[in-house]
Amino acid sequence: MRSKLLGLAGLLIVVSMILGACQPAAVPTPETIIQTVIVEGTPQVQIITATPAPVVAPEEMKAITINMGPGDIPTIDPSLGTDTSSIQVATETFVGLTRQDEVTNLVEPGMATEWSSVVNDDGTETITFKLRNDISWVNYNGTTVEQVMNCDGAPRIVNANDFYYGIIRTLQPATASQYAYVLGMSMAGAGDFNSGVTDDPTTVGAKVIDDFTIALTFVEQAAYNPAIAGMWIAYAEPSWLIDGDDCTEARGEKWTETGFFQGYGPYTLKEWVHDSTLTLIKNPFWPGTTNIPQPKIEEITWTMLDASPAMAEYEAGNLDTVAVPLADMDRVKADPVLSAEYVVAPNFCTYYYGFNTSAPVVDDVRVRRALSQAIDRQSLIDNVLKGGQEPAQWFSRPGLAGAPTMADHPDLGVKYDLEAAKAELQSYLDEKGKTAAELDITLMFNTSEGHRKIAEAIQQMWKDGLGLDVKLVNQEWAVYLDTIKGAATPQIYRLGWCLDYPDANNFIRENFGPNGSANPFTNGKPSGGVFYNNETFFAGLLEAAREQDPVKRVDLYAALEQTLVYDDAVIAPIYWYTRNTLTKPYLTRTFSTGGHEHIEKWDIDMAAKP
Amino acid sequence: MTKPVSLDSKEFGAGGKPISQKGESLLKDSIRRLARNRAAVVGGSIILILILTALFANLVAPYPFADQTLVDQNKVPQWVLNLFPTMQPYAKLSPNYFLGADYVGRDLFSRIVFGARVSLTVAFIGPLISLIIGVTYGSISGYFGGNLDNLMMRIVDVLYAFPSLLFIILLLAFFRSTFAQPEPGTFTYTMGQLDAATGGLLFIFIGIGLTAWETMARLTRGQVLSIREKEFVEAARTLGAKNGRIMFRHILPNVVGPLVVAETLAIPGYISTEAFLSFIGIGVNPPTPSWGSMISDGAQVIRTYPNQAVFPALALAITMFAFNFLGDGLRDALDPRLRGTQ
Amino acid sequence: MGRYLIRRILYMLVVILVVSFITFSLMHAVPGGPFDKEKKLPAEIIANLEKRYHLDQPLWKQYLSYLNDVFVPQFASEGPKGLVVDDDFLINIKITNSFWIRWMNFGPTFTSRSRSVNDIFRQNLPISVQLGLMALMIAIVIGVPLGIISALKQNTVWDYLGMSVAIFGVSVPVIVLGPLMIWIFGVTLKWLPPTGWGSKPPYFLGVFPTNLSWDYWRTAIMPSVALGLGSSAILARLTRASLLQVIREDYIRTARAKGVKERMVITRHALKNSLIPVVTILGPMMAGLVTGTFVTELTFGIPGMGKYFVTSITNRDYPVIMGTILLYAVFLVIANLLVDIMYAYLDPRIRYD
Repeated sequence: MRSKLLGLAGLLIVVSMILGACQPAAVPTPETIIQTVIVEGTPQVQIITATPAPVVAPEEMKAITINMGPGDIPTIDPSLGTDTSSIQVATETFVGLTRQDEVTNLVEPGMATEWSSVVNDDGTETITFKLRNDISWVNYNGTTVEQVMNCDGAPRIVNANDFYYGIIRTLQPATASQYAYVLGMSMAGAGDFNSGVTDDPTTVGAKVIDDFTIALTFVEQAAYNPAIAGMWIAYAEPSWLIDGDDCTEARGEKWTETGFFQGYGPYTLKEWVHDSTLTLIKNPFWPGTTNIPQPKIEEITWTMLDASPAMAEYEAGNLDTVAVPLADMDRVKADPVLSAEYVVAPNFCTYYYGFNTSAPVVDDVRVRRALSQAIDRQSLIDNVLKGGQEPAQWFSRPGLAGAPTMADHPDLGVKYDLEAAKAELQSYLDEKGKTAAELDITLMFNTSEGHRKIAEAIQQMWKDGLGLDVKLVNQEWAVYLDTIKGAATPQIYRLGWCLDYPDANNFIRENFGPNGSANPFTNGKPSGGVFYNNETFFAGLLEAAREQDPVKRVDLYAALEQTLVYDDAVIAPIYWYTRNTLTKPYLTRTFSTGGHEHIEKWDIDMAAKP
Repeated sequence: MTKPVSLDSKEFGAGGKPISQKGESLLKDSIRRLARNRAAVVGGSIILILILTALFANLVAPYPFADQTLVDQNKVPQWVLNLFPTMQPYAKLSPNYFLGADYVGRDLFSRIVFGARVSLTVAFIGPLISLIIGVTYGSISGYFGGNLDNLMMRIVDVLYAFPSLLFIILLLAFFRSTFAQPEPGTFTYTMGQLDAATGGLLFIFIGIGLTAWETMARLTRGQVLSIREKEFVEAARTLGAKNGRIMFRHILPNVVGPLVVAETLAIPGYISTEAFLSFIGIGVNPPTPSWGSMISDGAQVIRTYPNQAVFPALALAITMFAFNFLGDGLRDALDPRLRGTQ
Repeated sequence: MGRYLIRRILYMLVVILVVSFITFSLMHAVPGGPFDKEKKLPAEIIANLEKRYHLDQPLWKQYLSYLNDVFVPQFASEGPKGLVVDDDFLINIKITNSFWIRWMNFGPTFTSRSRSVNDIFRQNLPISVQLGLMALMIAIVIGVPLGIISALKQNTVWDYLGMSVAIFGVSVPVIVLGPLMIWIFGVTLKWLPPTGWGSKPPYFLGVFPTNLSWDYWRTAIMPSVALGLGSSAILARLTRASLLQVIREDYIRTARAKGVKERMVITRHALKNSLIPVVTILGPMMAGLVTGTFVTELTFGIPGMGKYFVTSITNRDYPVIMGTILLYAVFLVIANLLVDIMYAYLDPRIRYD
């Protein structure tokens, strides 16, 4: 009997806890509380009426929740960021010397208000940046965002030394920054310093002229140099916080954690619950500039959910915008509410199949061209991808500086043309005296649902159109990367490329130039990937990079693309990416083409929000 | 208590009884008792039908499993639409596919039929591998005892401490990369080709086999340990029976019951391991269908096209029911202590 | 018993060492490295990274220094500064101001630059343990009664019904069940939050949530049920099989023959003995639940440990692979030890000398 009573009492305690937790916070009303008290060892249940203290409803605050994708954000340290989510956070918490418009990708003023360029005698280019002098470092102290003070008690203002420190820190071999190579390739002396040839940072082409002037020297004159100066790896960083000074405790690699973090962008870090959420809070000390306004939204929370749970959260009203999973596309398009919230925006990435031009069968350009022409890209997009992607006729995504556009070059590159494909293949088969079914071709992709669907669909197109039996093999990602960049590169393999900076150079040259990402060289010879060695093409890449006239430059790139995807048919471009997004109607926003949103430009209509 | 007792295994105390009462063979008696168990008979029949379906899949299935018709993707017949009315706003109809078509327009029904091959193979070969290795290993260890037993069990202990799923993933990554050799003629190349020919199943079997037999070995050893001390074994030994005979005639029949039950308990585990591997993308190679890969594909679109997840899951569930009921029946039938009952 | 325990614990250490060696060899035998990217990194950058993580050293050296970091307590004159992530010890004991004992440094993770493997253990493991415990609870509450009913009503409708429920539980994978539950209870009915987990660091005793409000429980309901259902089926079948076996034992017959009431026979004698194998499976089952949470975590967006088990292998995140496998091995070995000890208590026929 005694134990039953205790059990009942326990139950009631739980019930009262739940009641307490469920209590709506808005209006204080008298309520009945069931309380269990223990009087001299005997539990007794008392029912009391009480009026809780009035609870002040939190002021209606503009806050949004967005999904970042599964997995923890690897880092928010600008020197170390390599992936979209890391760079997204750095973009909001810091501002580079220059800043790209997230939609047009044009270079705009960032922390530098103006810059001037000089071409030196040795062919290098020195750009001198004039900085703003009114931006202070900030930190979220647990309750509010406050300015960071120096040892004399004055606010720390972001200056040229902070930028210098950031650039040198990125390049330090001990920092082991992956994207340091971008600076290493483009800035004078940066490569040697980064690879440890010299340990003297003054050999790097970065020079502090005065507190608010910094000069950067680049190895060659190029239109994209100011864009590189604005990349996350060249942001200002707080040396006192990382290495410590007289009045600040050093935080080392942990400086980006909750509580420690300091930044100066439109937002700053409020809380980072690893693997779960990351919250940014508005930096009230950001004054707002012409292209980087003061944020209207007070708080941004990123969740780290897989695509379909994120979709569920959006439909439950807990996310304000979400990427549409392919699986839900048909339903979204047919749903009267969701279809109104659905937007397709371009994304600067290209999906392609590469050919190992030294492997049997595909070492013949006719076979490669036939395979490429037999891919019905539009049908693939309509039936498999469903996200309004664009059929890719060449590699460099239109919209990049220097890249041809479909409006100017509707017939450039390679298109679906089954008759032409059949003819190409037949001429090869006749010469070799074989039938299509006898050809042994393997297509490899890295293990993933999406890549598999595309591969299966294209496999079928090749079977139906050309009578080829192409084998599909998939490998797990890390093994796959090893495979496709080594001697055993399969005949056909899939890859993609997204922009680092908005120029065709970043696409075509950095991939298929000598020792490019998809065309690795060993001892001056192709040793993996597409095994491509065309001197004229390589010379053309250099010429196009240096060309100053934008119109001529596009023509040069157009010719190069034609060589790459048709004449030599080294790759089969498949589609240009889009982003498929659902956005709640109360949210006004922009759609970034590079993948990093500028949320300081977004707004919420609180009246329309349920 | 001085007799050696298993320190590690979860033994089911087996009561020994003289094996033969009427001179009827053990097998005959078992079959007789199995046949009387209605649930087991139903389970067995379902499995038989499934095996036949798998064997003659190309006769049963209306389409080859890899044939895509892109324009027919996700189409459903009317009755499926009636079953899942939420699809009404967007589903396209086609009477050509009995259960509907999948995301690239392949017939779901045909893929389920062909998928039975993979899933049944997993359900049979997985346990078989672990039974063969485990029973051999465990009975040697338990029967001979002493230092050999000690050593053998320590090896099992180490393997037992590995998280099996992780170990399989690591093994699969290792096998698939090591055996992806370009030059023909070598052993590794042949293995790679064999794996490719089985749609990636070979290495999955090796992976599962290498991680699953330890439980069997422990179980067998525990059983053998307790049975080898029983009076009837002593009697056989006194009568001059050889080790092999004692093992096969007297000990194994008494051991096999719990092992079969343990294996049928484990079959759902094997099938779901395959499903899990498919889910994380390292299961069978496309376009080879397996129920696991179909379920994990279907689960992605479960809100949009529920039929693509529900039907393969149903096939899986029915198979599990069948295996479970058959397993229980087998256990009862193979238990020598129940002889002559029912 | 004491000697037996000491022997077992020493022996555990050997097992863990062997496990670490096999894992280390196997993971380095798999091609591909942690810094392979779609965008190929220049050799100089890779060199910097390898130097940063000491991957440029010979493998035997890497292995020995790993063993040293994890297994050997370090004596230091000051506590950890926390400036670099690989200077992070799970256990720090301050003896005097200038004498510290530091133990178990599982190293940095390659996928996060501000967190160590120990951080992952501290922040993510508790969530998986909470989830695993709740799933286990659900498995017991559903599974054991179901098994008992089935056994007592063997070969009746109740038996078949009970077993059907159990088998259904094990054959509907979380991959299907999870999204269905989210759809029904999270999106359509809006009873429960579709995703998320209601607790975050710091944890009580390093494991348990500090906030036990309804907000915590409501996030836990769906994932625990999804995860626990499969195990409840296993428990139900095991309970049934074991009870059936016990009922046929001689002592039950004796009890019945003595005229003990059937109810007493079942509750006093049969149930107690039949639960022995059930109790002994709980340890390994708990270990399995804690680490088998990958799909559940992905489906319900739970920041637990499960995904690290899988993604660390894909990412070639060597310290995380080593750390998680060792951790799991310790779990399993301890679970097995507990089973043996429990066995001895429950079954008077077994004694360890």
